[in-house]
Amino acid sequence: MRDPRPDTRLDGRRDELDALLRRCVQCGLCLPVCATWLATGDETMSPRGRLLLLGDLLAQPADGPAIDPTVSRALATCIGCQACTAACPSGVPASLLEDAVRLAAPSGPAPAAVPGVLLGRLDEPAVLAAIGTLAAVGRGALRALLGPRWRGRLAGRRHVIATIGRLVGSVPRAPRSDRELARCLDRLCGHGEAPTCALPAAAAPRERVLWFAGCAADGLLPESSRRLRDLARWAGAEVVQPAGTACCGALAAHGDQPRRAEELRERNLAAWGGAGDEDGVTALVTEAAGCGVAIRGYGERLPAPQVDAIAWLARAGDRPPFGAVPLKVALHDPCHARHGQGIVAEPRALLRAVPGLVLLEPGEADACCGSGGAWGLRHPGLSAELGERKARHLAATGADLVVTANPGCLGQIADGLASLPHPTPPVLPLGDLLWYAAMRGAGDSRT
Amino acid sequence: MPEARDRLVAEFRRLLGPSGLLTGPAALSVYARDASHLQWGTPLAVALPASEEDLARVVALCAAAGVTVVMRGAGTGLSGGAVPPPGALAVSTARLAGLGPVDAVVGAVRAQPGVLNAAVSRHAAPHGLHFAPDPSSQAASTLGGNIAENAGGPHCLSHGVTSHHLRSLDWCDAEGRPWSTGEPVAVARGLDLRGLLCGSEGTLGIVTGAWLQLTPEPAAVRTLLAEFPALEAATAAVPRLLQAGVLPVAVEIIDQAMIATVEQAFAFGLPLDVEAVMIAELAGPAATADAGARATTDVLLGAGARAVRAAADAAERLALWQCRKRAFGAVGRLSPNYVSMDVVVPLGQLSGLVREIQEVRARFDVKIATAFHAGDGNLHPAVHYDERRAGDRERAHAAADAIIKAALRRGGSVTGEHGVGLEKVHALPWQVDAVSASLLRGIKDVFDPAGRLNPGKALPAAGPAVRYAAIPSRPTSLRVDVDSLAVTAPAGTPVADLQEAVLAHGLWLPLGLAGREPAPGLDGGGTIGEAVARLLEGPMLLARATARDLLLEAWAEAGDGRAFHAGAAVAKNVAGYDLLRLLCGSGGTLATLRAVTLQLRPAPAGCWGWSWTAPGDGDAGGAPAVAPAGHSGPGGSVWLAALAAGCDPLAGLQVVIERSPAGVPTRVLALGGGTQPLLPAGSGGAVVEARRANVGEAAALLSELEAPGWCLGSADWTAWQPVAGAGTALLPPGPDRFLWQHGPRVVWLPGCAPVAAEGWRADIAWRNGHGAPLPPPPPGSPLHVLRGLKRTFDPEGKLGGPGWLTGGGDA
Repeated sequence: MRDPRPDTRLDGRRDELDALLRRCVQCGLCLPVCATWLATGDETMSPRGRLLLLGDLLAQPADGPAIDPTVSRALATCIGCQACTAACPSGVPASLLEDAVRLAAPSGPAPAAVPGVLLGRLDEPAVLAAIGTLAAVGRGALRALLGPRWRGRLAGRRHVIATIGRLVGSVPRAPRSDRELARCLDRLCGHGEAPTCALPAAAAPRERVLWFAGCAADGLLPESSRRLRDLARWAGAEVVQPAGTACCGALAAHGDQPRRAEELRERNLAAWGGAGDEDGVTALVTEAAGCGVAIRGYGERLPAPQVDAIAWLARAGDRPPFGAVPLKVALHDPCHARHGQGIVAEPRALLRAVPGLVLLEPGEADACCGSGGAWGLRHPGLSAELGERKARHLAATGADLVVTANPGCLGQIADGLASLPHPTPPVLPLGDLLWYAAMRGAGDSRT
Repeated sequence: MPEARDRLVAEFRRLLGPSGLLTGPAALSVYARDASHLQWGTPLAVALPASEEDLARVVALCAAAGVTVVMRGAGTGLSGGAVPPPGALAVSTARLAGLGPVDAVVGAVRAQPGVLNAAVSRHAAPHGLHFAPDPSSQAASTLGGNIAENAGGPHCLSHGVTSHHLRSLDWCDAEGRPWSTGEPVAVARGLDLRGLLCGSEGTLGIVTGAWLQLTPEPAAVRTLLAEFPALEAATAAVPRLLQAGVLPVAVEIIDQAMIATVEQAFAFGLPLDVEAVMIAELAGPAATADAGARATTDVLLGAGARAVRAAADAAERLALWQCRKRAFGAVGRLSPNYVSMDVVVPLGQLSGLVREIQEVRARFDVKIATAFHAGDGNLHPAVHYDERRAGDRERAHAAADAIIKAALRRGGSVTGEHGVGLEKVHALPWQVDAVSASLLRGIKDVFDPAGRLNPGKALPAAGPAVRYAAIPSRPTSLRVDVDSLAVTAPAGTPVADLQEAVLAHGLWLPLGLAGREPAPGLDGGGTIGEAVARLLEGPMLLARATARDLLLEAWAEAGDGRAFHAGAAVAKNVAGYDLLRLLCGSGGTLATLRAVTLQLRPAPAGCWGWSWTAPGDGDAGGAPAVAPAGHSGPGGSVWLAALAAGCDPLAGLQVVIERSPAGVPTRVLALGGGTQPLLPAGSGGAVVEARRANVGEAAALLSELEAPGWCLGSADWTAWQPVAGAGTALLPPGPDRFLWQHGPRVVWLPGCAPVAAEGWRADIAWRNGHGAPLPPPPPGSPLHVLRGLKRTFDPEGKLGGPGWLTGGGDA
């Protein structure tokens, strides 16, 4: 069914949506932070444009005409990055655009390009781990077959092939072993090899925190995820990871599977239930920014306030000092951290605390990198374009290294940088860089 | 006609590619609207050209097919300028967002029309420069739109509006033919198409690229927040501030209703129990900014402020400005629709108008929240309404019209910076006299005889039922409006008389044309009419303005004797095309000026004049060696180079520095060569503690003033000297040039010969000024347009002019 009629999907929420929509004064301040507008210049692919189109839909009678494909495309290309909400002086909520996306999406299974069964299971670490392995193999094979520009060649192909190329290309990678990471950064910094390659935990933990790693971290970047917990322990945390947690539910919610999202939430709350009763749990720390926003959305039933891992580290004041990392580092903020949780100062404070590190800010820092989780798979061409644009801005800073705190952004930016025609800096998880700085610091204090 | 339409669409698509032309219902719905909440028609299609050439080709295709063209940047305009009539092609500049390299030598950059305003300053920041016009929409609005509307912003008080910051425009006409306003120079006599296109709302031509003037970042900025229990006390404080000799870079007022709105939105911590808060910003070298902040605090406390505090740091300052600049967006939280007004009145009328707005609020029972660019006398009352409530919209518009009429009764204008657009076409005749209206339409006919560029906008409504304003009575004697910082005088008034009259009030006309004692090249006996018509300049050109930047209002007679009136005694005004800039420098070939109103500034308490002589005169300090372009001095310190290779003797280098009452240097007024004092005694207040100094002493002084590059005029809008070769190359020093370097910035003064009698002052004021023919138009000028303008103003050719203009000779 390609032509949904709006009214069947409004579930009687017409008045509620209309009231929110009328807050928009059409000032246009959302345009320059919207990645799809920046890349296309097409105002139908801007937040204001999408809201105007949503208004058109709401104004139609219940038995109005089918949604025009140009309208549904405009609405569906919203990544949900929430940059517009952060920029909006009138306080139009991002949920309104999510509703618009839902209205525009064809009912039934997801587009044929990505098997629905796959999209539906991206929230399972085992599936993600398998994808990670397959992607590594697939990337190697494609490089060998088609050369370094393989992704560009695939992009011009039919949707299915383009999507698979996208999936394979944008799976995040990071050094597996600590030694590999340290070697990589030693080389960049011109450091000699550190005597040991481990990060000691604080002797006496000061805070007890519940830790939520998230599927992508668990499935695709398990070692980076573990290093982030090492960092937290080094900074004074006792990390509690109760068994029985599941995906945060963000993918299901965005994939229009509210039931599944609810079910996952209940599973997580139940798993935390026991742990939360214990004394002294001060925070529920989340790794991926997307999980953070989803879990914050659980509301008052959370056992402790949700805090992003980077934000938690930044506020852990009396941590040991970092060692020197004499690098120029460009930072990309994940949208769900910057816009979704207002995390801007925290990663910067941490990086500025690293001796010798020069922090660089790229142009269009507000704009999404175009990963968007499953969004990138539904819109492979646009996603690749956005990734390249983001990569160009990051490369233009002249940085030695790019860091970001979200697995999705990591893969997308690595892929974008790889598609640029000139040599580009490597990309690492922000946590890995901080782990290295902390490890060098710990090493320094030992010697 | 559907086949013709399809053919045209196919042609556009061939030219622009599949993603460069949008024809779907989504695009047609979105591009029919902008930030104005006005609606008119559905466009034929939306074009997104990706090159300047394609933009011109699109316009040419439209011309051939008889389709109207409406340009669009980011659709942030508040007067409906980008709202298309039915069947027009909406042309977006979103993909024309190229920024050239910054020419840090002269402070200029070339930008395509789709570049975001804020992007220019980000681009120029590494060079210590920024683009001064800062409309509140600057994060999203584009330069094309800024130029079309002649956009302003909070910082226009000291820096001027967009037209003060354009060096040159590349543009295409309604047929898609490319033209240029010439080399990117700051000051050019002649018929000012640059000034005419700026603010013409896309109805005369389409800007395809612009050389922008950049302004040095001040070394220090102090931002004050004052709380006023009474709104009227706040508005009354503004003229008092300027009269006290303080010229902030911005003075903003937010009224209680608007405070409540922005507090709800941003929770900045503004007090909710006062009728107004004022943001005043001082900038310049640290000592100047600090002294200004102290003086401002004193004046505001004396004028009824409950408290005045300074922003603690850059972050708080930024938050304060964010809160102000996003105020109008926040109005959406209070009401779904609002009429965004843009009236402007002479500064002395600000309090009176605010009183009348309160009455209107009560009389029409409407909610009005107001943010003001108070220093400019520019008010933005937002009249709230709900379009779905019967009669609400009409009532809001009736209230808005009442406010407009009140502003006009007080000698104001319907629009200071938003433009006429669709929204104020009906109100323009209340302000414009019939002859002016016909001149405006005549100008439109010259540029766009078929009426294809943005029809229905910018021009006053026409028709037998329209009644135009009467011409305000022409002043027959000199009149100083101290509260409004303006002087009105018959054109025959000697400049010296005018200057003397305003100095008595602590004000002056910062034109640099000075006293009664004629200095070589300076005509002490010149009249103000002549100074304006011939764009006479004085030695203070560098630090100050030209008459084009100061002329606010004129009474004139066209060639056939029809009397008309243009402008108003207000700091900014975009009602109708900018006739004043056209008349200014036209050398009397279009119209004869009868009386003028000019903007005044606080006079400096005094000036320090430094002069010193260069090598060959036994000056031990001597001039440093010749430096290559862009080379900064030893260790980045300030140094001066008097470069006159091959000139012997160099007569001297002089600098005149204005100082505040507290004895703090405020800005460099003039510099130049020659043995005659740049400021003749008696001019400009109390010159002169003149002394001779060597280069080292002068360098030390300028160093003390801090702020690399500041001296050439950041604290006021600046006319830079013309630079040849698109401003990109610095010519080697030579006998006819003079190089001035301060910090990283180098400016050369053409014609600055080391012999006094033929010094640069003489070049500008004398040779250009008296009896000189209008200079021929620069290459790339549309001669037919210039001649058309001449015919519009002077149909019988009574006012004469060079052959290229009258049609009697070759260009």
